[in-house]
Amino acid sequence: MSRPYQDSGVGAQRFWRVLIYTTLLVFALFYLLPLFVMLVTSFKSLDEIRQGNMMALPEVWTLEPWFKAWGSACIGLTCDGIHTYFWNTIKMVVPAVLIATLLGALNGYVLTKWRFRGHRWVFGLMLFGCFIPFQIVLIPMSQVLGNLGIAGTTTGLVLVHVTYGIGFSTLFFRNYYEAFPTELVKAAMIDGAGFFGIFWRILLPSSGPIIVVTVIWLFTNIWNDFLFGASFNAGEGAPMMVALNNLVNSSTGVKEYNVDMAAAMIAALPTLLVYIVAGRYFVRGLMAGSVKG
Amino acid sequence: MASLEIKNIRKSFGSTEVLHGIDIAIDDGDFLVLVGPSGCGKSTLLNMIAGLDDITAGEIVIGGETMNDRHPSKRDIAMVFQSYALYPSMTVEKNISFGLEMRKVDKAVRKQRVAEVAQMLQIEPLLKRKPGQLSGGQRQRVAMGRALVRDPKIFLFDEPLSNLDAKLRVDMRTEIKKLHQRLGSTIVYVTHDQIEAMTLATRIAIMKDGVLQQLGTPQEVYDEPNNLFVAGFMGSPSMNLLPATLVDTDAGIAANIQQSSGESINLLLKPSENHAQWIGKAVTLGIRPETITDPGSAEQNTGLVTQIDCEVNVTEPTGADLFVFTELGGEEVVARMRSNSGATAGEQAAFSFNMEKAVLFDQDSGERIY
Repeated sequence: MSRPYQDSGVGAQRFWRVLIYTTLLVFALFYLLPLFVMLVTSFKSLDEIRQGNMMALPEVWTLEPWFKAWGSACIGLTCDGIHTYFWNTIKMVVPAVLIATLLGALNGYVLTKWRFRGHRWVFGLMLFGCFIPFQIVLIPMSQVLGNLGIAGTTTGLVLVHVTYGIGFSTLFFRNYYEAFPTELVKAAMIDGAGFFGIFWRILLPSSGPIIVVTVIWLFTNIWNDFLFGASFNAGEGAPMMVALNNLVNSSTGVKEYNVDMAAAMIAALPTLLVYIVAGRYFVRGLMAGSVKG
Repeated sequence: MASLEIKNIRKSFGSTEVLHGIDIAIDDGDFLVLVGPSGCGKSTLLNMIAGLDDITAGEIVIGGETMNDRHPSKRDIAMVFQSYALYPSMTVEKNISFGLEMRKVDKAVRKQRVAEVAQMLQIEPLLKRKPGQLSGGQRQRVAMGRALVRDPKIFLFDEPLSNLDAKLRVDMRTEIKKLHQRLGSTIVYVTHDQIEAMTLATRIAIMKDGVLQQLGTPQEVYDEPNNLFVAGFMGSPSMNLLPATLVDTDAGIAANIQQSSGESINLLLKPSENHAQWIGKAVTLGIRPETITDPGSAEQNTGLVTQIDCEVNVTEPTGADLFVFTELGGEEVVARMRSNSGATAGEQAAFSFNMEKAVLFDQDSGERIY
């Protein structure tokens, strides 16, 4: 009796599945196309690029563009490649991510376990901060940086990114700690741990997933930032993204697409790596707050 | 170890008062159980003793010292939480020694104390594990170990057994009792389970709606309940409560119960001076199920045993006993009979009422009439 139904059910299911996967595959290939073009271009010589076969694999593979982008490409008047700027970005990203994560964790801890009058307002305002467009704060921010005497420095950029970062990091940690059992905090209090003792010994060691989420989020955002870098630190200490822009715009007569592409790949690699290494924790961490325990 | 005094404690959240002036005093070595239905304020009171909740008014005194403004860690108390609250990132050993570490106890001493406690609770093989790798009963032991290792003046237990399955709960109950007998420590224990309260306590405080209903030994609150609430709350199955009128008979003052069939039953009461003024008035008669039996099991020596034939509605065999349900004065009545007493649903059976321990309550106020 039920046999024909079952068969048609399985058949229909298979049809839809094939359709869905085909669609997904087509879109995936479509979105990967620019990456593919970038990659093959970065391994071609300029002569080969001029032949115009954008999609073709290189006839002769060469790493020359990568070395040039890293070490000897001209940015403005200096021809040292982007490697100094790469380190500039590292020097900006690492402290900014660490500080913003730590402050976010501390904020989340206070907003859930040491509630005070008006804690909702404070949290609401911090959330509000997440959604203020970057452009609005450029002028007041430059004034603040000037007054503090850190305009045009990496320290200044770190401050800017920390300011923007704690909104989101607070949101992440607050929601994570909301589900963290308050009895643990009480137990630690009776055990004699103080405010920071509880934070360091009890909460932080249990925050692995959400730390990963926050670090990925902040790292990609700050690493990829162009606006603040271009506005506040465009000279010698400029971060990678600004340098990349300058590299592409520095014209020495010939447009070296292969070098541009290689530089862009170098600029994108760290964020890609972070996603590949920690991506699964990212999903797990985002889910963690919703499940009790 | 120390005594504990709770003096006229009040607690308000905003404009709502949840504790309306609680007075409890226990001695060194007492096992106080705070028992009552959900929302009666027992956990709030425990948190106030621990210092985790502010005291709105009143005083908490431990070992002669006022604790009101003292931080939880300075009160020399240890608490076992309902969820156990084990630190998830630490091993069992670290969990137990954390309190000592925070108090800057020497490492060698810490190790020794942990070993002692682990041996006492038989959790030595678990010391290197994380709480996530433990069963419910094991976590419970670790939570107790964490409290024991500190050797505090007072132990606080917040419904520690309610997350365990039925069998384990009974086992752990016995262990807590043994522990108390061995250590002689002062314990305050919160539960909603009246059997836990009866079995563990040396003193029971029954609370309802933020008011202390009665404080006494388990036997006192069981035999001499202050009011209808305590009478109904303690004991399982709970006390039978029947509408009755006091009448003067030749043999003495008796409780008269009107059956719906029109039949009138007189149950002779234990003589008391105060009963005379209630003659002719409506009261509530409280009789424990175990004092209504089959005639063969009744204690005949008191002279207060009345035998009545009633129709059996339902029987519930428990193996050891047979709970027999009938109707008296329009209320359902449970009797505890021998399992071979032969009572059968739908048939008449003889019930022996032993009025030796029967109690009377004012129908309006619910207070006990002595």
